[in-house]
Amino acid sequence: MAEGRKRENYLGIKGWVRAGRYGLERYLYFLQRLTGFGLIIYLLIHLYETSFRLRGEVTWEGVMGLFDQPVFAVLEYVVMAAFIFHALNGLRLVIEELGFALGKPRRPVYPYETSLQRQRPFMWAIGVLIIVFLVVSLYDFLV
Amino acid sequence: MREAHFWLLQLVTGLVLIVLLGLHMIVIHLETILGFLGLGAGGAVAYASVMERAASSPWTWFYIIFLALALYHGLYGLRTIILELTLSRTASTVVTVLLVIVGIAAFSFGTYVTWQAYAG
Repeated sequence: MAEGRKRENYLGIKGWVRAGRYGLERYLYFLQRLTGFGLIIYLLIHLYETSFRLRGEVTWEGVMGLFDQPVFAVLEYVVMAAFIFHALNGLRLVIEELGFALGKPRRPVYPYETSLQRQRPFMWAIGVLIIVFLVVSLYDFLV
Repeated sequence: MREAHFWLLQLVTGLVLIVLLGLHMIVIHLETILGFLGLGAGGAVAYASVMERAASSPWTWFYIIFLALALYHGLYGLRTIILELTLSRTASTVVTVLLVIVGIAAFSFGTYVTWQAYAG
């Protein structure tokens, strides 16, 4: 592909994190990937960690005992938060991908309104829902 | 299957996972909320509780299906992120094959453990 020459405007790995002058949705997209990456890595670790149930009660309780430290409680909440964000933002992405919640087509009359602006209320609604779920689960982790 | 079908499957597994992982998180972590609903189980990660779920057929099916969907969704997503670098065709194939191997290995391991816990 590269064929030894420099590709114009090619960001490579930098493109994963650089959102440039794009709007808020671009940052949500970055967060969607970051949380997704975190969750799949966590799943593989979790698969190994939970396999200790085969080694009997003593080993299992020993492994679970490791996770009683406060640092793991915080990490568990981070996984929960990543799931809540990824699930609800992902739900928004699926709904928009399938063409819902985009508003009706209309004439381009000045002042122009972009499709992104018309999607904003839905994005904010999902945002509020994410915050509610984060707070409720934080409450449950703390109690 | 074409790439568009894999992408559609990504959307579908994503929607199903919201339900499955949501249930998993509620059962394992949200004891207080379960308590409010009068379902107060508590101590979902205690050995007895874990083995009780492991010995039940519905939970065994739940975990195996859940694992398959989660691995597909997660590894396909990871592949998308990596292929965004617009690698050469050979490199893309290598990435795809490696991720398929990781997926099959992880699924086999998880299913083996689940089955052992169920049967043993």
